[in-house]
Amino acid sequence: MMKEIKELPATAGSSFPTKNQYPVMSKKILILSQSYLESTTDQVCQWMDYLKIPYRRLNGEDFFRFQQLSDLPDNTATAVVWYRRKIAHFPAEFSLKQPDFNSQYTLKRFLVDEFNGLHSFLFHSIDAQKWLNDPLSEKNLNKLQVLQLARRLNIPTPFTEVVTTKTKIMALLEQYPALIVKPLSECILLEDNERRAYKMLTSTIEQKSLGAVPETFFPSLVQERIVKKFEIRTFYLDGVCYSMAIFSQNNRKTTDDFRNYDNHRPNRTVPYKLPADLEHKLDQLMKILRFRTGSIDLMVDMQGNYHFLEINPEGQFGMVSHPCNYYLEKKFARLLHQSVLHEKEIHQQPENKENASPATVFSEAE
Amino acid sequence: MSLLCDLQMRRFYHLPNDTAEVLLFLQQYSIDECIAHYGEDNREAITGYVDFFVSRELGFIDDRILPELTAMELTWDRFADITNVVIEYQETIDYSGPFFRELLDQHLEGLEIRFYQPVALPELRELLALFSDSTLRHIKLVLPYERSLNIATLDELVKKNQRVKSLLLHSSPEEKLEKIFSDSVPVYYFTGEINSCMACGEIRPNHFTVNTELFTESLRFNSCLNRKLSIDQEGYIKNCPSMRENYGHIADTSLQEVLDNKTFNRYSHIRKDDITVCKDCEFRHVCTDCRAYIEDPQDIYSKPLKCGYNPYTNKWEEWAQHPMKQAAIEWYGMAEIIK
Repeated sequence: MMKEIKELPATAGSSFPTKNQYPVMSKKILILSQSYLESTTDQVCQWMDYLKIPYRRLNGEDFFRFQQLSDLPDNTATAVVWYRRKIAHFPAEFSLKQPDFNSQYTLKRFLVDEFNGLHSFLFHSIDAQKWLNDPLSEKNLNKLQVLQLARRLNIPTPFTEVVTTKTKIMALLEQYPALIVKPLSECILLEDNERRAYKMLTSTIEQKSLGAVPETFFPSLVQERIVKKFEIRTFYLDGVCYSMAIFSQNNRKTTDDFRNYDNHRPNRTVPYKLPADLEHKLDQLMKILRFRTGSIDLMVDMQGNYHFLEINPEGQFGMVSHPCNYYLEKKFARLLHQSVLHEKEIHQQPENKENASPATVFSEAE
Repeated sequence: MSLLCDLQMRRFYHLPNDTAEVLLFLQQYSIDECIAHYGEDNREAITGYVDFFVSRELGFIDDRILPELTAMELTWDRFADITNVVIEYQETIDYSGPFFRELLDQHLEGLEIRFYQPVALPELRELLALFSDSTLRHIKLVLPYERSLNIATLDELVKKNQRVKSLLLHSSPEEKLEKIFSDSVPVYYFTGEINSCMACGEIRPNHFTVNTELFTESLRFNSCLNRKLSIDQEGYIKNCPSMRENYGHIADTSLQEVLDNKTFNRYSHIRKDDITVCKDCEFRHVCTDCRAYIEDPQDIYSKPLKCGYNPYTNKWEEWAQHPMKQAAIEWYGMAEIIK
């Protein structure tokens, strides 16, 4: 199902300048983000300013101002990294001069890959244990693997299958009254020629909608449809679960997917406390994946059973923090600060000689 | 009466105390138990209340009480020692000095700039440019109406200074509301004249604001003056332009000195729960309060002078006519202003 959404003006939101008020040597906390539409990062930074915690915020836009590789933050100057965002849009001067339908996708994809080639160098040049979330685990996160891990930890998950034929769908509909189909990867946004944007959402397959299903199709992820009492969005922060119940069932529009927002009747979102046993299992799951922060999606069915859906490690937590008055931005600032103090303790031990400085890797090529 | 505040949807419901009592009872008991407790005679009333709560999406009916739906913590905190600033603009004052720069490092939430006299457009632009590199979130402009400040000019101004989120044009020929910048910024045209801070401090239901931030702040702090700062027409630093005492001049005072001054913070801890009459008022945690103009100028714990609400009778009256208020009106010398 695709839903038309309003296009955001390119200048929406206010820009948050990259601050350089601290001397280079004391920049121990590194925040990777972007300069626009990033209220979550902005607020964490504002808390750190207020609490007088030094940090360096590196926006994706800043990569366009670097002159050489050694301008990138290096391992020795960094104690902890929070990777929140890369960049939403490249600076306007790097947009295609003459959009051409046949080549623009390839060209845009190429620029994205080029940018990522530079950006993800940090994943390698800065020690993995310094990242709040293991960057490679985050980059390679696989929905099916996460569900499999969850099942192994006895976290209840909805029946999940990847299918390619209508016959299989029909067989599954014998067992489950309805299925949902959603991407194995991530939902995408599409734009038509009038620059109207459409976003992909989860949709339902039932007996009556079978007519629209072709005999064979691209491998697709289906799950049993859970008739939900409400949804739960948990923000996991270093071992603690901050949960929020989302009541969207009343609004027909949002029955399948609460992201299909109804701006006139917003969903009711209130604080929620998961059972201790489930919190413990989710903690184990996050630890196995080497994530110290992230969003976890769950559902509660009409009988009150929990169903784990997925993890978004770079999840944005403002939408949980504000309605529930959790002050997660402040807690996050504190976590970054503690991580620096912790790193200092480690560094009092003799340094590992094998950790060559990343800049030397390139010295021969110059 | 009681007040039910929907902090998320930013609405409040003025309820009879009986309804509030039933609602509180339902926190721990089922609807049937509630009816058993209050008696069959009240069945219709109770189910009526429940239907009302459900229809407003304030609750839903389930077959058990869900202890997992925990109460929200009502804590309040903010990443700035000063959150809101009011400036009474005066063209002879330099707003780019060190005091100002310190203030802008505060991650301010809001700034209101009041112009009692007409201001030239280039001057206004220059002033607004001072904030373009700050993390200040919104600016409210209070300006005297002038024909040259037409909608196109204002639209252009806001487009260039997107922190300007609302405008009030006083001394206007008519009362009206226009929207500029793709309908996102309101321009209020107000026929009254705003030529001094004495126009401030009115308590009116349409000023009541319901949201988590203000509600939780008012539980612990003064909703009018906590973490607020003002610079008056002469450049003196105050809690609010209407207060008499000042904490130095912006030309020779540092923000830190003001913040460290105990008397500057002395109003911050006066909660609505500490104020005479207000402490019994159902609107106390959605109210704007006012500590500058109070019923008894000698008692800082007395009710705002410009509030006409009586929480014991639930009636709004014209405060300016009230016989009990005349002495204070005289004391503040505002008899002329409120005519």
